[in-house]
Amino acid sequence: MNNYNSEFSVVGKPIPKLDAAQKAMGRAEYIQDIKMPGMLYGKILYSRYAHARIIKIDTSKAKALAGVHAVLTGEDVPGKMKMGFIKDNPPIKKGTVSSFRDEVAAVAAISPEIAKKALDLIEIEYEELKGIFDPEKAMEKDSPLVHEHLKSNVLKMPWNIHYGDVEKAEKESAFVVEDRFTTTWVTHCCMGTSGAVALFDASENLTIYTNTQIPSLAHKDFLEALKSMGLENKRVRVIKPVIGGGFGSKLDTYAYEHIAILLAYKCRKPVKIVFDRVEEFKATSTRQPTVIYIKQGCDKNGKLTFRDMRMVLDNGGHTSWGATTPSVMLMPISSLYRVENVKYNAKCVYTNNTYSQAMRGYGNPQATFAIESSMDILAKKAGFDRIEFRKINKNQSGDETPQGLKITSCGLEECIDAVKEELKFDGKNEKSVGTGIASLIHVGGGARIYGSDGCGAILKMDDYGKVDIFTGGTDMGQGLDNITAQIVAEELGLLAEDINVVHSDTDICPWDVGAHASRSTFVAGNAALGAAKKVKKKIQAFASKLFDVPAQEIELKNKLVFVPGDEEKSMPIGKLLRKAHFRPGGTMLMAEHFYDPDNQNMGKELKGNMSMTYSFGAHGAKVKVDEETGKVEVLEYVAAHDVGRAINPMLLEGQVYGGVVMGLGYALTEEVTVKDGEIMNANFRDYKLFTAKDAVKIKAPVIETDDKDGPFGAKGIGEPGCVPTAPAIANAIYDAVGVRIKDLPITPEKVLAALKEKNG
Amino acid sequence: MKEFKYLSPTSVEEAIDFHGQHSETARYIGGGTDVIVKLKDGWMEPDFLISLKKIQEMSELHKNNATGELSIGAMVTHATLEKSLMIQNEYPIIYDAVSNIGSLQVRNVGTIGGNLINAVPSADGAIPLIALDGMALLHGPDGERSAEVKDLFIAPYKTILKPGEILKKITIQPQAPHTGSAYIKFGRRAAMELPLIGIGVLLSLDDDLQTCTKARICLGVAGPIPIRAFDAEKLLAGKKINEEILIEAGKIAADESKVRDSVRGKAWHRKEMIRVQVKRMGLKCLEIIKDKN
Amino acid sequence: MITNISFLLNGDEISYDVKDHWTLLHLLREEMGLIGTKEGCGNGECGACTVIVDKLAVNSCLYLAVEADKKTIETIEGLASTEGSLHPLQQSFVDNGGIQCGFCSPGMIMSSKALLDENPDADREEIKHALAGNICRCTGYIQIFESVEAAKEMGGHDE
Repeated sequence: MNNYNSEFSVVGKPIPKLDAAQKAMGRAEYIQDIKMPGMLYGKILYSRYAHARIIKIDTSKAKALAGVHAVLTGEDVPGKMKMGFIKDNPPIKKGTVSSFRDEVAAVAAISPEIAKKALDLIEIEYEELKGIFDPEKAMEKDSPLVHEHLKSNVLKMPWNIHYGDVEKAEKESAFVVEDRFTTTWVTHCCMGTSGAVALFDASENLTIYTNTQIPSLAHKDFLEALKSMGLENKRVRVIKPVIGGGFGSKLDTYAYEHIAILLAYKCRKPVKIVFDRVEEFKATSTRQPTVIYIKQGCDKNGKLTFRDMRMVLDNGGHTSWGATTPSVMLMPISSLYRVENVKYNAKCVYTNNTYSQAMRGYGNPQATFAIESSMDILAKKAGFDRIEFRKINKNQSGDETPQGLKITSCGLEECIDAVKEELKFDGKNEKSVGTGIASLIHVGGGARIYGSDGCGAILKMDDYGKVDIFTGGTDMGQGLDNITAQIVAEELGLLAEDINVVHSDTDICPWDVGAHASRSTFVAGNAALGAAKKVKKKIQAFASKLFDVPAQEIELKNKLVFVPGDEEKSMPIGKLLRKAHFRPGGTMLMAEHFYDPDNQNMGKELKGNMSMTYSFGAHGAKVKVDEETGKVEVLEYVAAHDVGRAINPMLLEGQVYGGVVMGLGYALTEEVTVKDGEIMNANFRDYKLFTAKDAVKIKAPVIETDDKDGPFGAKGIGEPGCVPTAPAIANAIYDAVGVRIKDLPITPEKVLAALKEKNG
Repeated sequence: MKEFKYLSPTSVEEAIDFHGQHSETARYIGGGTDVIVKLKDGWMEPDFLISLKKIQEMSELHKNNATGELSIGAMVTHATLEKSLMIQNEYPIIYDAVSNIGSLQVRNVGTIGGNLINAVPSADGAIPLIALDGMALLHGPDGERSAEVKDLFIAPYKTILKPGEILKKITIQPQAPHTGSAYIKFGRRAAMELPLIGIGVLLSLDDDLQTCTKARICLGVAGPIPIRAFDAEKLLAGKKINEEILIEAGKIAADESKVRDSVRGKAWHRKEMIRVQVKRMGLKCLEIIKDKN
Repeated sequence: MITNISFLLNGDEISYDVKDHWTLLHLLREEMGLIGTKEGCGNGECGACTVIVDKLAVNSCLYLAVEADKKTIETIEGLASTEGSLHPLQQSFVDNGGIQCGFCSPGMIMSSKALLDENPDADREEIKHALAGNICRCTGYIQIFESVEAAKEMGGHDE
C-alpha cells in the first residue's frame, strides 16, 4: 500500500531485525536464562494489607531453614536507600505499608523453592488501617491519610497551567460542551517478566543484569544505592540482557533491583530475582487511572476557541515517575489542533492502590481519549462534519502552539485524508455499523523532561569494512539496533549486516537518557548518524589524498569509496581502511558523537518546545455493535502516521500494528480489576489481552514528511500507535448506535447499559 | 511444587487399587491441565499421583453403529473431539463447546472427563453433555454405577464422585431424527476465555419440522453448578417453535438462572445474555434442522 | 520419586532420570539447559513454553516430564538444520517481522509448526485458531500471520 522513498540504499528498506534469527532459534538470552556459579535466588514478600502498621516481624524460622542465606526486612535497608520520583519509597518498607504491593521482607536461598518456603515462614503481625481507594474521595477533608506525615493525600506537585484567557474565550464561544471521562488501570504485560541478577566483585564493585529501558539512569540510581550502603567510590556496571518487552514498564528502577543488590552484598554471591506472572501483575506499575473533566468550545465557523481540562490521577501509595505524566498530557491538551486558550489542572492523589508508572504514551492515551471524544461531541453540537471539523482546526507546519511547541513537519491533514479515503465516512453504513476517527500529536524528536535529552555513540571501523557502533540507545525489541545499523550503513555506503550494534552495557556504551518518549530513532539515530558522518569525513579526507581529488567529490556506496564518473578512482572500502592503517603514522577510523537535541525543558512556566519535532497521526475504526449483547466488533482499522521517514518500513509497521492492538485492548478489553486495593485478575485468563483470534485487520498508511532535524528525516513512532485508538473506537460506537461511552474499557456491559438507557 | 510419586496404571481396576493403597494421599490425574495448576499453587498436595493416561479404554471415542450410542472415554481430549468429523456433523453442540476451551495446547492435553470432574461453574464441557442427556459411567472401589451428567455436580469443585471413584466414560443415546443443537460461550475475547455465560440449546422437532418434541436449555456460570432451565424447556415442549416463543423461553431461562455479580461480569448482564443467547441458539438449532432436510 | 524415562528429543535418543514432579518445561530449561523454550506464565495461559509432543503442540509448563517417556519431543532448538540453516518457519518469522522482543517467538513458531505439519494449507482463520493460545504483546499478530503464510509457500513441513 505504501510507497517508500527509494533514493536510499539501506534506509527505507525492510531489513529483518538484526537479532531475529537468534531469537527465532531460541538462543537469545533473557534475564530468565542467566545462571551463574554460586548464584542464589531471591524472593520478595509483599504486604497482606492495603494499609497497615507492621507491629512485629519474626524471621527466625525463615533464617533457620536449610539453604537460606539471608533474610531482609525494612530494618536492614539503609535509611537513605529510596526509590521513586521524590524518593519516598524504600525498597522494603518498615513502619507502615500503603499498598498490597509494598515489599515487607526478602530472602535469598540456594533454590527458588527454598526461597519460597522461607517466605512462608516469615511471621508478620499487622494492625490494619483504614484504606482509601478512590482518588476523588481521597481529596476530601476527612479522608484517611495514606501517609500521615504529609497531612494530605494530594501530592505537592501541582499542575496548574493557563495559556491565553479561557474564561473570556468561553463567553465568546458559539458552542461549548462539557463532559467527564474516566480511564482505568492497564498494564504492560511484557511477555518476559521483570528480573535482575546482581553481583559484587572482590573490590565490591557492582554488576547488575537487569531488565531496564534506562541503563544510564539506572546506573545513577544504583550508584546512589551503593552510597547509601556505605560503599563510596565504587563502580556500577548495568547490563541489560535481551528483554521480553518494555512499553515503559522499565523506566524507573524498582524494589526488586535494589533488593537483589542488598542480598548480593549481604551474601557476597550473585543473587537473581525474577518475577513470576502473578508478581508481574501485582508488583509492576500500571498506566495511571484518571478522572478527566473537559470543557471545550468553538465559534460559529467551527474554530476551536478554548479547552479547559481538569484531572485527578490515582498516584497509588508511592510516587514514581508516573506522577510526571501530566507534563506529557499537557502536549495534546495544549496542542492537538489549534486552540489558543488552554487551561489544565491536574492533581496526583495518594491512595492505597498500586502505584502507576510510565506506559506507552505516558499520559497521552488518557488525555487524547477525552479530547478526541469531546471533539466529536462538539462537532455534532456545532453542526459540523467530524472530518471537516478536525480539518478546520488542524495543526500546520510553522505553528507555535500556546505551550510553545514549534510545529515543523506536520502531516496531520494527510493522515486524516488517508483515514477518510480508506473508511469513506459517507454515513452509508448498514445498521449498527459505524465509523470513528481520532487524531494524535506526540513528541517525535526527543523530549526534554530530564536535564539531558542526549545520547552518545562511538563508532569504530576494522580493517575490512566492518563497523562496531556502541550506542547509548536501548533496544527492547522495537528495533533500535536496526535503525542504528541502517543509518550508519547508509551514511558509510555499507550493508546493514556490516554494522554490529553494541548497546545496553554502561561499561562500554555512552550515556543516554533512555528508551522513552519515542525518542530513540530520532536521538540515538542522530547520535549514530553524527558519528558516521565524522568517520565518513575521515574516509573522504584520506581518499582525497589517495585519488588526488577534493574530498567533497568522493562518495561511499556499495562498499566502495569512489569518485563518480572516474572508474580509475575507486577502491573497496576495506582496502582503503588497510591503506590508512598499515603505513607509517597510520590511523584507524573511529569517531564519537554526543547528540543532545536543541529542545527545551519546560521549566516552572510549563512552556517551551519540549521536542525537536512532533509526530502526528489519525486513526479510523469501523465497528459493528451487537445491540442485543453490547459486544463491539472491529471490522476495519486504519492507522495513518506521519513518521517523517520510514527508516525500516517493516519494523515501522510492526510498531504501528502492535501499538494499535495494545490500544484496542485499552479501548475494549483490558483492565486491572482492583478491589479495595487488591488486584483480582493477576493472570492472562482474566486480564484480557487481545489473542491472535481477536486480532483485527489493520491498514497503516505511512506519511513521509521528511523532517528537517530527523536522521534521514525520521521522527519517533514507538508510542503513537496506541494513542488515539480508544477515542477512535468510542467515536465509531457512537456513530453506529448513538451511545457515548466515557469510561474505559468499553465493555459489552457498558454498551448494553447505555443502549438500554437510550432506548428506555 | 511438592514432590510426589507418579503412578501409571494400565487399567481402571489397577488405578482404583493404587488409590486404595494410598487413599488419603493419592489423587488421580487426567490430562493435567487443571491438576498441575493446582499442584503448583499448593491447592493439592498428594504423595501419589495416579495417571489415567495409560488406560486404553478411557481414551476411546466411538459410536456404536448398531445402537447409535455415542461413547466418549473420560480421557478423550478436547482436541480429539474437536477434530472428529463425526462430532462436527452429528453433535455440533459438543464441537461448539470443546473447540473454544482454553488454547489448542490445552485442548491437545486436557480431557473431557477432567473438565467435568474439575466442576468449575464455568466448565464448557458439561453443558453439551447435559443437553444431550449424557450418562456418566463411574467406577470405584465398590464397583460401577452410572449417573446423569446433569447430576454429577454438587457445588463448585465438588461432584458426586466418592473417594477413589473414577469417571470412566460418558454415553449418549441416539437423538431423534430432526434434532439440532448449539452452544455459545459468551466472553469479552474471541479465545482463551472462561465464559461469562455458557448457553447450550437442543431442540428436536416432529416430522412437521415445527412442533417441539424435546427441548434442552442448559446454562453454565448461571449458578454454582451447570443447570437446566426446566421451565423454559417446558414452555417449548409440544409447541411450534418460532422466534417469538424462543424469546419467551429466553426470558424464562433468565429468570430461572441464579446468576451473580463477580469480578468477571455483572449479574444483570449475564441475565441479559441468557435471554438473548437462548433465543439465538434456539434459532441456530432450527437452522441446523432445516439444513439437514 | 525418580523415574527413568527415554524419549526422542529433536532427533536425539535421550535417557534421563527425572523427578516425578518436574514439568517438561523444568526438565528442558533448568536440567538440560535448553533455554529456547520460555516460561511466560506457568499456567498454560500464554503459550511461550509451547513444544511439540508426538506432533501435538502442548504447554510444557503443564506437562509432567515423566509423561514424556517414549514420546517424540520437538523444541525450538531442533528446528534449524545441523548445517545451521533456519527452518522455513524460523526464516519466515525473521523475514516478515514476526519477531520483536522475541520472548513469545519460540512458542509461536512451535505452534505454527504443529499447525503446518498437520495442515500445510492452513488459511488465515485456521492460523488464528491455532495460535490463539500464544500471546504476543509486541506485534499485534499481523506480521506473525504473514510469517506463517509465507512459510506455507516455502514448504518443508513434516508430514
